[in-house]
Amino acid sequence: MTPALELDAIEGGYEPGLPILRGASVSVAPGEIVALLGPNGAGKSTLVKAAAGLVPIWSGRVRLAGRDITGLPAHRMVHEGLGFVPQTENVFANLSVLENLQLAAALIARQRRGSLEKMFSLFPDLDRQRKLPAGRLSGGQRQMLAVARALVASPSVLMLDEPSAGLSPKLVGVVFERLRAVRDTGVTILLVEQNVKAALALADRAVVLVEGRERLEGAARDLADDPRMAALYLGHAA
Amino acid sequence: MLQLIADGLVVGSVIALGAVGLTLTYSILRFANFGQGEFMTWGAYLAVSALAVVLAATGAGVMEPLGPFSFGWQLIVAMILAAALTAVLALLVDWLLFRRLRRGNAITLVIASFGAALALRNLVQFLYGTLPEYYTREIQIAIRLVPRDVLGGLRITPDQMLVIGLTLVLMLALQGLLTRTTLGRAMRATAQNPALARVAGVDVEGVIRATWVIGAALAAVAGVLAGVVGQVRPGLGFELLLPLFAAAILGGIGSVRGAVVGGYIVGLAESLSVPLVGAEYRAATAFVVLIGILLLRPTGLFGERA
Amino acid sequence: MELLPVLNYLAFFLVFAGIFAVMALGLNLQWGFCGLFNVGVAGFVAVGAYASALLTGPPEPERFGGFGLPVAVGWLGAMGFSGLAALVVGLAALRLREDYLAITTFGIAVVIQLVALNAQALTGGPFGIQSIPKPFADALGTGLGWNLAYLGLVLAVLGLAWWALERLVASPWGRVLRAIREDELAAASLGKRASAFRLQSFVIGCMLMGLAGAMYAHFVGYIAPEDFLPVLTFQIWAMLIVGGSGRNAGAVLGAVLVWAIWSAAGTLIREALPAAEQARGAALQVVLIGVLIAAILVLRPRGVLGERATVSRHAG
Repeated sequence: MTPALELDAIEGGYEPGLPILRGASVSVAPGEIVALLGPNGAGKSTLVKAAAGLVPIWSGRVRLAGRDITGLPAHRMVHEGLGFVPQTENVFANLSVLENLQLAAALIARQRRGSLEKMFSLFPDLDRQRKLPAGRLSGGQRQMLAVARALVASPSVLMLDEPSAGLSPKLVGVVFERLRAVRDTGVTILLVEQNVKAALALADRAVVLVEGRERLEGAARDLADDPRMAALYLGHAA
Repeated sequence: MLQLIADGLVVGSVIALGAVGLTLTYSILRFANFGQGEFMTWGAYLAVSALAVVLAATGAGVMEPLGPFSFGWQLIVAMILAAALTAVLALLVDWLLFRRLRRGNAITLVIASFGAALALRNLVQFLYGTLPEYYTREIQIAIRLVPRDVLGGLRITPDQMLVIGLTLVLMLALQGLLTRTTLGRAMRATAQNPALARVAGVDVEGVIRATWVIGAALAAVAGVLAGVVGQVRPGLGFELLLPLFAAAILGGIGSVRGAVVGGYIVGLAESLSVPLVGAEYRAATAFVVLIGILLLRPTGLFGERA
Repeated sequence: MELLPVLNYLAFFLVFAGIFAVMALGLNLQWGFCGLFNVGVAGFVAVGAYASALLTGPPEPERFGGFGLPVAVGWLGAMGFSGLAALVVGLAALRLREDYLAITTFGIAVVIQLVALNAQALTGGPFGIQSIPKPFADALGTGLGWNLAYLGLVLAVLGLAWWALERLVASPWGRVLRAIREDELAAASLGKRASAFRLQSFVIGCMLMGLAGAMYAHFVGYIAPEDFLPVLTFQIWAMLIVGGSGRNAGAVLGAVLVWAIWSAAGTLIREALPAAEQARGAALQVVLIGVLIAAILVLRPRGVLGERATVSRHAG
C-alpha cells in the first residue's frame, strides 16, 4: 500500500556544509499516528520543517500518497494536502480566532476547504472565543487553534512539532485526545515529541531519530519498554 | 492659529499617505525603505507626463477646471495612470534589487534602498531637469471659512480640502482592505510571522508584491497631491522622507491607523513650529518629533512590536 | 604632455582619495566591525569642516567664530565636535533596533544641512565660509609644492588612523566588538556593556569623519552647505561596499576605486554632453554610482577584497 507520507533519505540543513538531516527516512501509512522521537538535536523538528518546505532539502524525496512534492514552496504544500503545525508562535496573535481560521480557509481551494463550523464543533473551546485576539488565548486553546487552522485546509497528512510543549500534563491529555479524534476523521498524523511517554501512548508506531538518521522503529506499544530507547536517548549506540 | 492648523492638515495628509506605504513595507518586508520618498517624486512626475499624454490624446490644449478645483478630469486620469506606473516601478526595483537580497541581512536591504533612492531621484532630475513643474497655471481663490477676527481666521482652497478629503477616504478604504479581505488578512499575517504565514498557505511573495503595489500607488497619489497644492520638484519626495519616517515610527511600525495619526501630528507640528523657529527650520521639526518618540516610546503610539 | 599639470592633478586626486579613505575608515569601524548603519556621514563631516573653519579662520564681523587658532587645534576641535554630535545621536538611537539608527543619522544630517544653510551668523549660510587657512601656505605658496606637502599630511593622518584602528581592533576592546557583531548571544550576555561598546565605536568613527571634513576644508580653502549633501554619504558607502567592509584595506582601496570611477564618469559626462546639459549629466553621475552599489550588493556582496567574516551567520 502506498504510504500517506514518505520521507525518503532526506539530507538537508539551514546552511550548506552543515547538514542536520543525514539521510533520514520515515514512512507513515494512511490513518496511522506516528511519533517522531529522539534526543535533543537529533533533527526531529528540522525533518518535519524540511518536509513542510521551510528548510532546504539537499537530496532525498518527499512523497505524499506517492506524489513527489519535494522542494515545493511551503504555501504550495498546504494545497497539496500536507499540513504543518509549528511548535511555537503557531497562531497569528494579532488576528482574532475567527480571522485565523478565515484566513486559512480563504487561501485554500473551495473543494478542499473544511467548514469552520465543523472546526468549532471539534474544538468547542474556540467557539466561545471567536472574536478574541489569538494572542490572548491560553496555551492549550492556542494549540487547539493551531491544529484547527491546519485542519481547515483538509490535509490528508498533518505534521505537528511538539504539540505538548509548554502544556500542563492535564492539558497534554486533552490535546492528545483531540488529536486522536482528528485521526478518526481520516487524517494521518506525524508528530514530533519530547514527551516520550505521552507520545507512545497516543501513537501507533514510533521512529527514533539520532544525529539526523532513523535508528530505531517499531510499534509504540513495544518501544515503550525497549531498553534500546533509553540507550539512544543517553547517547550510546544501540 | 486656525490657518496654521489647516495648513498642517494639508501637509499632514501628504505625509500620512506616504507614511502608510512606508509602514506597510516596513512591517511586511522588514526593512526601512529609504526609497519611499522617491516613489512620491516619481508619481508626481509620471502624472506630469501622463497629463500631457491625456491632453494630447483628447485634443484638448488646456485643462478645463472641474467645478471649484484648479484642475480638470484629465489630472484624475493622469493620477490613476501615475499610480499604476509607480506601482510597476516599485515591482521592477523589487525584482531587480530587493528580491535578490531578501535572504540576507535586513540592513543590507536598507543600504540597497538608500542607493536605489539616490539613483531614482537623480534619474528624475536627469529626465525632467531641475525646474519646477505645475499641473495647472490656474489660480484658485481661497474660500474664507472663518472670519479674520476669530483666532486669526481661516482661508482654504477647494484643492486643499480635496487633499484632506481624498486622504481620509483612501485611508478608510485601506483599513477596510486590511481587516475585511483575504489579501488584507494575509498581509497582517505575513507582517506578524512570515514562516507561519507560509505554512498556513499564504504566498508570501505574492503578498510582498501586493504590498509594493499598494505602498507605491499611495505614494504616487501623495506626490500628485503635493504637486496640486505646491510644485513638482525633484526634491519633493526626498524632503518628505524624514517626516515620513517620523510619522511611521510615531504611529508604530505596521499600524496604518498609527501612520495616519502620525502623519497629521508631524504635519501639524511642522506647521505650528513655523511662528516659533521660522519657516527655514520647519523640516527640523520632524527630527525633533522622531527623537522625542524614540526616547519616550520607541514602539510608537499604536505599535505592537519593538 | 606636460608633466606638471599631470602631477598636480595626481596630487589633487590623491589628496581627495586620502580624505575619503579616512571617512571610509570611520564608517568601516561603525559598519564593518560593529554593524552600525550610519546614513549621516555627510552631516558628521560637515560638523568637522565647519568646526575647524570657525576655530582657525580669520575673524569676520558678520559671523561668529574666526578665532585664528592653529590648524592642529582646529582639527582636534573638528574631532571633538563631531564626536559630540555622534554621542547625542548614539544615546538616542543605539539602544533601539538597528534600522532606527539609520533613520536617526539620516535625520541629523538633514538638520545639520538646514543649520549650515540657514544659520548665517554661524555658518555663513548658502555662501559658506571662505579663506580657511591653508597650513604651510606661507612657506610653500599654493602650487604643486603645497599640494604635495598637503598630500603628505593627509597620507600621514590616514596612516596614523589605520595604525590606530588596527591596534584598536586587535585589542580586547576590538575582540568584544567582533563578538557583539557576530554573536547575538554574546551581545545579550554583555547587556548594557554591549551598547556602551557600540556607542564608543560609533563616536570614534564619527570623529574620524569630522577630522576628514576638516582636512577637506583646509585643502579647498572654502566650504559651503552643498559640499555636504547626502550624495557624499552615498559615495562613502559606495567606497566601503565596493572595497569590502570589515577590513581597513577594503575601505582604503574602495575609496581610491570609487573616487576614480566617480572622477572618470564626471570627466566623461563633461566631454560628452553639451554645456546646457551639464546639470542633468551630473545627475547621471549619481545614478551610475547608485547602480554600482546595487550591482555590488547583488553580485559581489563582500566587495572586491572580501570581508573577513560575514555580517551575520543567521539569515535575517
